[in-house]
Amino acid sequence: MSTIHAGQAPVEVLLQPLGIDQARGRQGMLLLIATEASLFVVLFFAYFFLSNGDWRWLQQEPPKITYALVMLAVLLSSSAVLRWGEKQVEAGRFAQGRSAMGLTVLLGLGFLVLSAFEYREHLKHLAPQTNSYGSIFYTITSFHVLHVIGGLLMLSYVLLLPRIGRTDRPPHRAYSDAASYWHFVDIVWIFIVGILYVLPNLR
Amino acid sequence: MDSAAVEERLVKIWETPPTAQGWFSTVDHKEIGKRYLVTAMVFLIVGGLEALIMRLQLARSNQGFLTPEAYNQIFTMHAMTMIFWYASPILSGFSNYLIPLLIGARDMAFPRANAFTYWSFVTSGLFLYASVAFRQSPHAGWFAYPPYTDSLYSPGLGMDFYALALLFLTISTTVGAVNFIVTIFRLRAPGMAISRMPLLAYSTLTMSFSAVFSLPALTVACVCLELQRHWGFHFFDVAYGGSALLWQQLFWFFGHPWVYIVFLPATGMISMLIPVFSRRPIVGYPYVALSTVLTGVVGFGVWVHHMFAVGMSHMSMSFFSAASMTISVFSAVQVFAWIATIWKGRPVLTTSMYFALGFLASLVIGGLDGIVTAVIPIDWQVTDTYWVVSHLHYVLVGANMFPVFAAFYYWLPKITGRMMNEALGKASFWVMFIGFNLAFFPMHLMGIAGMPRRIYTYPPGLGWDGLSMASTVGAFILGVGILLSIINVIWSLQQGALAGKNPWNADSLEWSTDSPPAPYAFVHIPTVRSRHPLWDDYDEEFDPGDQRVYDQGRLTIASSLLDAEPVALGKMPEDSFAPLLLTIALVIFFSGALAENLWIVLIGALAVIPAMGYWLWPQHERVVA
Repeated sequence: MSTIHAGQAPVEVLLQPLGIDQARGRQGMLLLIATEASLFVVLFFAYFFLSNGDWRWLQQEPPKITYALVMLAVLLSSSAVLRWGEKQVEAGRFAQGRSAMGLTVLLGLGFLVLSAFEYREHLKHLAPQTNSYGSIFYTITSFHVLHVIGGLLMLSYVLLLPRIGRTDRPPHRAYSDAASYWHFVDIVWIFIVGILYVLPNLR
Repeated sequence: MDSAAVEERLVKIWETPPTAQGWFSTVDHKEIGKRYLVTAMVFLIVGGLEALIMRLQLARSNQGFLTPEAYNQIFTMHAMTMIFWYASPILSGFSNYLIPLLIGARDMAFPRANAFTYWSFVTSGLFLYASVAFRQSPHAGWFAYPPYTDSLYSPGLGMDFYALALLFLTISTTVGAVNFIVTIFRLRAPGMAISRMPLLAYSTLTMSFSAVFSLPALTVACVCLELQRHWGFHFFDVAYGGSALLWQQLFWFFGHPWVYIVFLPATGMISMLIPVFSRRPIVGYPYVALSTVLTGVVGFGVWVHHMFAVGMSHMSMSFFSAASMTISVFSAVQVFAWIATIWKGRPVLTTSMYFALGFLASLVIGGLDGIVTAVIPIDWQVTDTYWVVSHLHYVLVGANMFPVFAAFYYWLPKITGRMMNEALGKASFWVMFIGFNLAFFPMHLMGIAGMPRRIYTYPPGLGWDGLSMASTVGAFILGVGILLSIINVIWSLQQGALAGKNPWNADSLEWSTDSPPAPYAFVHIPTVRSRHPLWDDYDEEFDPGDQRVYDQGRLTIASSLLDAEPVALGKMPEDSFAPLLLTIALVIFFSGALAENLWIVLIGALAVIPAMGYWLWPQHERVVA
């Protein structure tokens, strides 16, 4: 076997000093979101499979849409607030960033309260045990509620951290990573409202 | 600084003290990789013993030494052990140990998450085997179709152990997959552009993406099964608008990508060692890399071929039949590349190469009978017969176990620092290969003769007796072959010749480290100029000014995705108990779910919060003098 010629000069770029890597956590978070997203895709698949491929369940009262839309408004505004907070943190205004995150947590708690009301309303005529529609409906929505709780825990944890700006000590970019997860949770709710609430109400 | 002082300092930074504390808190990928390998081998032995018990029962007709229920539990535990706790973890073990060394990094991207994947892998396995103590193991096969698995027909804890242990393992596997992806994306040595990446990195990357996108389907399936079994939900029972087929769709949407998860890294290892023993670079590197990735992608479009017999439209069956045949093209590309490499090279027939050739032969047999099974009329004829058992064992044993043994003979000298015995190794190969074919080839014929799978006994005179006996004899011979290799490992640990850095004169970066590698692996982070770092005339660790020692703490280089240009210094965490604590919290959670005790579930879930909080809290760095 002949030797492969590759040249002897070392890679010159290395002579420049390198900063501390901040990107691995980011990539990990994006992959977590990817696997969680496919979780919900699978759940929606199960929803359509059980409805025999129809976007409307025949012989099934479509769910009332009011609460869901209010909850959507709450979540979307929480995402907007948090996005604003991310910009503040990037600009070095950490106090504003923290207040934005605090407000997001409150809005998220508001979402949980609203979903408790919506469940109480809904449970009057549909239980998870009623039929497959009830089962898949409550499974999807409660999976989402669990993700909201997870997201809220992440946000609150970031609030507790001594530093939320750029830091050489891990966790890096905790603020924007937790924020990305929260935006993801909100986007899932858009799909839930669309698929579970709006589509069945269209005639 | 002189090199001895540098090395001493690096050891101080990277070493885990050999204490109990160190043992439970280490995050060293080499230590974790070794534990993965040993644990997965233990599962292989346990699963193998279960197989032998089954073969004893089936050796002759009308045997009664296992009850039907015991037989069902044993074949299910055999399948789950082999598929979930051996076949995938053993490959994770190799990838864990090798990937950072192959790409010139000092550890994985998330070392603590890496420790967590090991702890949760082993405890989920123990969780599953706790079912044996209750004498209520899962009994419905590894794909657990409802309605049989509903609480009405499968009362007791068996199927709960199944669902919960798999949910537990899913967490472990997903975290591991994310870790592999980020490691390969971010920590490659400067200059190791994706066009120069070792093929094992390609296959591990593809396997990890498959896991990230397919495992949620298993999660949903298992959660739905538990909700239906214990909380009165209706997903799979027709009476309440459910569908038993929903389970099959979900399970196989996960299940078929899983076949590639336990197959692709094995092909990656073969693609590493065949060129080394053929003394030339692999033929068609870009095609092998591409077909690896495409296997992963198309692997998501073939799941329905497990369900041809349930009754579907012609259109969808034709689509999935065609897709199933398409995927064999990519495997064929790899097979031809390996054959061409051997053909054009000057092959050295080491034990490792024997196993690689044995793998090629069994992969071709298993692959061809797979293509035959993708033809729908044939599938209808052989569904749920021993034909399928034969096919899946040719693919899984042939394409997972043989490559794994090839890899052991190839890489154990790196891991332990000692060579294995070649004569004993070759004997072990021949015994295994003969035993394997004797055990599984007759199953093709039994399948054609109509013998259904998963029966605990059968009447005489159906033409199955002789074949079954042959198969049993073969299984025991295979077991003896495996035993010979285990003896070989023990022998090599005691008296194997010292391996030195690069006993095979191989081309990839791990062979430039000591055998076994020092805790920091590379004194100077290597830079790479070609696809075969150790075969070119470029010195990867050439660094006269000690610019790439990075001894200010646990550091390694982070590089860009495509060209691997150095962009930052990756800071690595110190040893930590957090991964173990998180695993304990999850054990509480799943035990509560098993006992249907919501309070314990809640305690487990709440315990996750402080464990994670402790894990992620900014640490003070240890200062090394």
